[in-house]
Amino acid sequence: MNLAAIQRLLALSLLAFAAVDVRAASVAEVIDTTQPKMVKIYGAGGFNRLEAYQSGFLISAEGHIATAWSYVLDTDYITVTLNDGRRFEAKLLGADPRLELAVLKIEATELPFFDLNAAATAESGTRVLAFSNLFGVATGDEPASVQHGVVAVKTQLDARRGVFETPYRGSVYVLDAMTNNPGAAGGALINQRGELVAMLGKELRSAQNNIWLNYALPIEELRGSVSQILEGKFRPTDEEPKLKPDEAIDLAALGLVLVPDVLERTPPYVDLVRGGSAAAMAGLRPDDLIVFVGENLVHSCQGFRDELAHIERNSTLKLVLMRGQELVEVEVPAAEGDRP
Amino acid sequence: MSRPYYKSWIAPLLFVWALCLLTTQVGAADEPLAELEEQAIKAAVERVAPSVVRIETVGGLERVGELLVGTGPTTGLVVDSEGYIISSAFNFAQKPDSILVTLPSGKRQAAQLVSTDRSRLLVLLKVEADEPLTPAEAAPQSEVRVGQWAIAVGRTFEAERPNASVGIISAKDRIWSKSLQTDAKISPNNYGGPLVDIRGRVLGVLVPMSPQETEEVAGVEWYDSGIGFAVPLETVLRNLPRMKEGKDLHTGLLGVSFKASDLNAKVAEIAVAAPTGPAFKAGFRKGDRIVEVAGQAVERHAQLKHAMGPLYAGENVRVVALRGDERIDREVTLAEKIDPYVTPFLGILPMRPVGKAEDADAKGIAIRYVYPDSPAAKAGLQAGDRVQSIAGAKVTTAADLREQLQPLTPDESVALEALRGDQTLLVNATLATLPESVPGELPPAHDSAALAAADVAKPATGLVPIKLPEFENACQALVPDDFRADVPHGLVIWLHAPGGSKDEELVALWKPLCEKYDFILLAPKSADATRWQPTELGFVRRAADAVAKTYSIDPTRIAVHGHQAGATMAYLFGVTNIDLVRAVAAVDSPLPRLSQLPQPDPVNRQAFYTTLATKSEQSAAVEAGIERLRALKYPVVVQGVGEQARYLTAEELDGLMRWLDSLDRI
Repeated sequence: MNLAAIQRLLALSLLAFAAVDVRAASVAEVIDTTQPKMVKIYGAGGFNRLEAYQSGFLISAEGHIATAWSYVLDTDYITVTLNDGRRFEAKLLGADPRLELAVLKIEATELPFFDLNAAATAESGTRVLAFSNLFGVATGDEPASVQHGVVAVKTQLDARRGVFETPYRGSVYVLDAMTNNPGAAGGALINQRGELVAMLGKELRSAQNNIWLNYALPIEELRGSVSQILEGKFRPTDEEPKLKPDEAIDLAALGLVLVPDVLERTPPYVDLVRGGSAAAMAGLRPDDLIVFVGENLVHSCQGFRDELAHIERNSTLKLVLMRGQELVEVEVPAAEGDRP
Repeated sequence: MSRPYYKSWIAPLLFVWALCLLTTQVGAADEPLAELEEQAIKAAVERVAPSVVRIETVGGLERVGELLVGTGPTTGLVVDSEGYIISSAFNFAQKPDSILVTLPSGKRQAAQLVSTDRSRLLVLLKVEADEPLTPAEAAPQSEVRVGQWAIAVGRTFEAERPNASVGIISAKDRIWSKSLQTDAKISPNNYGGPLVDIRGRVLGVLVPMSPQETEEVAGVEWYDSGIGFAVPLETVLRNLPRMKEGKDLHTGLLGVSFKASDLNAKVAEIAVAAPTGPAFKAGFRKGDRIVEVAGQAVERHAQLKHAMGPLYAGENVRVVALRGDERIDREVTLAEKIDPYVTPFLGILPMRPVGKAEDADAKGIAIRYVYPDSPAAKAGLQAGDRVQSIAGAKVTTAADLREQLQPLTPDESVALEALRGDQTLLVNATLATLPESVPGELPPAHDSAALAAADVAKPATGLVPIKLPEFENACQALVPDDFRADVPHGLVIWLHAPGGSKDEELVALWKPLCEKYDFILLAPKSADATRWQPTELGFVRRAADAVAKTYSIDPTRIAVHGHQAGATMAYLFGVTNIDLVRAVAAVDSPLPRLSQLPQPDPVNRQAFYTTLATKSEQSAAVEAGIERLRALKYPVVVQGVGEQARYLTAEELDGLMRWLDSLDRI
């Protein structure tokens, strides 16, 4: 994708082509006022195909910068280059690993900036411009690269378990432009009026369909953490967000036996329901195919076990079964699991 | 140029303009055009949204071919109110056990796969919906202009909201006139969904496609690359009644092939009309020049592909061809598949003429060897006999004889006229299939009197370097010392195993064989001695062409022979150079997993030779390759080498050379 992504860097050709001068003029104005708010960030990396640079944008006149939290910032020597080419050493004020957000500070004044409180929201079809230093192509006083596209949809990254490997659990804007490239994380997404909408995320690939995802984090998701960091109140939670319960439901406790898991993707068919078990009470039958656990589609025996591992033992389990060609919903009552 | 351009923009602009006038909260004066366009795009997505459903699949294969297939939700388009939904075949390539469609109300419903369109890579699903469904409205194809807005819509991220990508129509009539092309971002995130115009009318159904390949997963590597395809919804709706009947649709075939693989080649002159194909059955023959298909004038090969592309098997099409001045105008019922061509076998080896052999016409084709138990043997022909005519047609060269046999099928009976001394023989032979064994010792291929008489110039012989300045690879040809230009030689292209090959060993092994069997050995070397790269196939071809330019080469006896990775290359070289390579001899390597093997070509015949070790790790793969080749009706010689894989013994290599010497069999 990366080589082609460079080629796709034709920024505004389509827009200029599509609309008359009115549009070109207004886009040019928006870009002119946005560029001075963009910064290039340099730090750790530069080996193992890990780039030592990323993007960021100013969020105060005194040199506060929002960017993505990444290994690039994992050094005592972070430098920031402003749009006008001035270079500064930057201090890491704080980071929220959960949002993959970091705030830097440089010693400067009277800088143009984005007011996070004036940020806008977007929806499917909203036209956007993405500003970033993708592939580190700009240096010194070269302005950031501009890409255009629309918001494809606003969605939750964690809506389907195991699809995206990222600690971020909130909503994102999925973009129809190739924005998420090396060095682009921390860039700014703005709407046609020049209002800040979101911060570009890292490179991310869907485990579900192997497709690279271009996404940005809505400013309203970041605002709280940014102000906490600025006020010095931010306390990063050491503990990882709790993903699995201490004691989860398992098949034995339900009284359910699936068909032998012989294939990589054995469909989760019920082989046996133990008499008097929770599964039997819920009305499960041999040959039922389990298709959903709650809202999550399960593809295989293994997928079903993985889903169960996320559900507290003493809770009710909602299943959708396929029985013949009919979809059947059942609720399996909490089982006090007498293990065989 | 200027007019279509103007037209392409006027419709959406007018629409935006109309929107300005109609929408009350929008004033034309204070809203920039771009914002109005944004609103129009959102309105278009909203309009089609009720017809765009989310599809989830359960079970099925993890991989299709080389591609890891995802299990994410996919998209479908409602095409009528009875619950029929069209989607991309890509989404179902993994053959799922169950298909679930989320209806607009949010209710999930099991769906049945009704039929598949293998030409346009679509599937038709059916759900028993107990709620009203909204069929999509098709945009008239006649109004579609390159440059107009095109919005790709999927429903993969959120069940409640569609996801959209905005672009323009990049081209029409792509993929042999089967699809529209767009620069909107097309990927598994919207395959199966609609491409809509600025009014929300459906232009087409999004599918991955490739002009060269035809599998469900072809073209997926182009996802999000600014190139995507959509099958016009109008076409889909036209074929819907047939698909609803549960009939799979297939690309329609004429059963003819053409000399030039170059699509720009001018006239579509039939090189081969497969006797099993519908064109042949309708009366078209080799040499006929196709000038019109389905009412479209055809001048170049590519035009023929465009005329044929949209047609399905079972459809009737009018084909007009010229045979000399005669105009042949026939209705042809296109076929779903053409039975593989099987080369008919008479059972003789011809004597090879020396030089131009000007008086050959008078005497016919001298028989060098008659295969035991072959049709020729059963008919009573003997070595030394001269074939004069076949099926009533006079033949003077081996090529003539081959050409006359070409349209015949094995098991067909054919009348032959031959001379034995002064006596004329009239015999009938029932043709057979090519032998799959190494022949025994063969008599000389040339008349010794003719060889003695000629006095010709000799080009360089011995180990000759072949220099190709644009390639870094080294390459040598081993030319027998007794080579002479009036005796065309066979060519063995030897692709060494990883580790390369030493010159002295090469010469010691091959020199006697080349002299004995009239072959030139061409030994290209991989740039990296430890491995071959598929990209080096081009270099091998250039080297072979260079040899054929300097030395007289018999086109019926060009073979590529390789060991281990060299044998994998040999297979690849063979199937990608069918115009050159007549035989592939592979030692210790299975047939590589090619997505598509060419069908046997009556003109460009190919035969295969492979070793088989009963207990090697590769044996199952080698056997699978043999089976695959034989299923296509290629002749395959299998040389057993015992339990473990190894290179050929001197005796086996001599046998291989005998087999290559017999490639000009008829």
